[in-house]
Amino acid sequence: MILNGVEIRDSFAEAFPMVGTRLIITADTPRWAMTAAKTMTGFATSVIGCGCEAGVERVVPADETPDGRPGVAVLIFAMDINGLKSVVPLRIGQCVLTSPTSACFAGMTGGDTVSIGKALRYFGDGWQIAKNVDGRRIWRIPVMEGEFVCDHESGTTSGVGGGNILILATSRGEALAAAEAAVDAMDKVEGCILPFPGGVVRSGSKVGSKYKGMFASTNNFYCPTLRAQTATQLPPEVASVMEIVIDGVSPEAVSACTRAGIEAVVALGRAKGVVAIDAGNYGGNLGPFHFKLREIMA
Amino acid sequence: MTGVILTARGAFDARVDLSGVLPGAEGDLAKRPIPYGGRVVELGELFDVSGSGAERLTIEAGDARLDGVGAGLTKGEIVVRGDVGARLGRKMSGGVISVKGSAGAFAASEMSGGKIAIGGDAGERLGAADDGSRRGMSGGVVIVGGSAGARAGERLRGGVVVIEGDAGKDAAADLIAGTLAVGGRLAGSAGRGMKRGTLFLRAAEGLSGGFRDAGEHDLVLLRVLVRRSAELAAFLGPEVTRARRFAGDLYAGGKGEALIVAPSGRM
Repeated sequence: MILNGVEIRDSFAEAFPMVGTRLIITADTPRWAMTAAKTMTGFATSVIGCGCEAGVERVVPADETPDGRPGVAVLIFAMDINGLKSVVPLRIGQCVLTSPTSACFAGMTGGDTVSIGKALRYFGDGWQIAKNVDGRRIWRIPVMEGEFVCDHESGTTSGVGGGNILILATSRGEALAAAEAAVDAMDKVEGCILPFPGGVVRSGSKVGSKYKGMFASTNNFYCPTLRAQTATQLPPEVASVMEIVIDGVSPEAVSACTRAGIEAVVALGRAKGVVAIDAGNYGGNLGPFHFKLREIMA
Repeated sequence: MTGVILTARGAFDARVDLSGVLPGAEGDLAKRPIPYGGRVVELGELFDVSGSGAERLTIEAGDARLDGVGAGLTKGEIVVRGDVGARLGRKMSGGVISVKGSAGAFAASEMSGGKIAIGGDAGERLGAADDGSRRGMSGGVVIVGGSAGARAGERLRGGVVVIEGDAGKDAAADLIAGTLAVGGRLAGSAGRGMKRGTLFLRAAEGLSGGFRDAGEHDLVLLRVLVRRSAELAAFLGPEVTRARRFAGDLYAGGKGEALIVAPSGRM
């Protein structure tokens, strides 16, 4: 499949089941809502090293938030519910509770629950106040700035982690420009996050390593400088590859996000140095979700 | 659907206990035995029972001698086009009761869910604990369009009670948790023994001596409450952001509070 001179390879992204939750973080101003959201979703690029994958889903207008202030929706995913139960209160406690004027609310209901105020209330040292209204419990934790208000807990959902596309381009600059265009388009799809820095991974990995104890290592098949030394997936004109990893609340969301990204890259076309779109997989034997690029773009 | 309609056959000469008369009650409602003064009579002797349906029960032209209306209600709707007596909605856990007139003592006592709207006044011990009980209303919503008698919200454990008019002496006495809003004046000693929970007031006059001023604050809580409770939004105003906080009763642990909010929602 060739679209605007860009080859869509007959490949697929192989993704895994994850468990996730959505939180709505609000603050007095959009700046501080985003600061808290970005801080709490920091160091959350890959479960391999971070214990979770997290990112900003979307900016939530004030008239849609539980307290009528500017908000940001974040998604956090872990490999299992116990992992999620562990990381969510820690991240809220260290990054949202501490952030000026913030409040933190459940962004979904149903499924198993993860603690918000249920765990953080103890910071109140006995001065915390619970309030039950409309069948939901909220907590008020006195802090030096005023009060930190949060829901008791949030629901969870089964999700999909590890959707991805690889952008093969004729230079590093062109690969990055294409990746940025893709991220801008993919950010608009609800129910998904791009957990890596700015949404882009420049160091995609393969499973395993020659070194004992390494679960993942550089994906030498896509490293342009190793072309002479190893089997390669790169045609001669490709000098740089960028990856975009997608986690979502459903396969449909990941699929829609994948399509949005590819469309944005294809719009730049071969004229802007994009040679091909590929995807990372493990032969199809590990992950139950297969996002076939050509089917998505059909 | 009109539901079942009860129309009194005449004036009552004794108190009537309607505790078991609920929407969807099984059997022939007209033959249901009910306490009437010192006797037990069939409901049909006192009321003309008409209509059908399990969702709604209407009592035409209520009477202050009708006790226990909606007591134990779990679902459905009860409408009373007049007054009711004592124990309106006592221990109800769901459903809706609407009383166009006034209610007697112990309305919503030990209620745990559902909603009661009283257009007129409520008697003493609204949403309170029964005599000998440790905990009053624990959930649900009660709206009183008029004023309430003494000891409203006594030992309240949860839920939301809104009194648009005045509250009698000892409102919120020994309140454990939950929310009591009073739009009018307090008769005195309000919040005495209050352990936790929130009073929404228009002025601090009438609070017990165990409350201390903690200053005026921009509280995110207020913004959340008015978006999660239509009743509190109506009382506080949808744009409310600030309140003057009095902590108390300091003689009973001091974890409760009275939040003074102007009618416009702004101090």
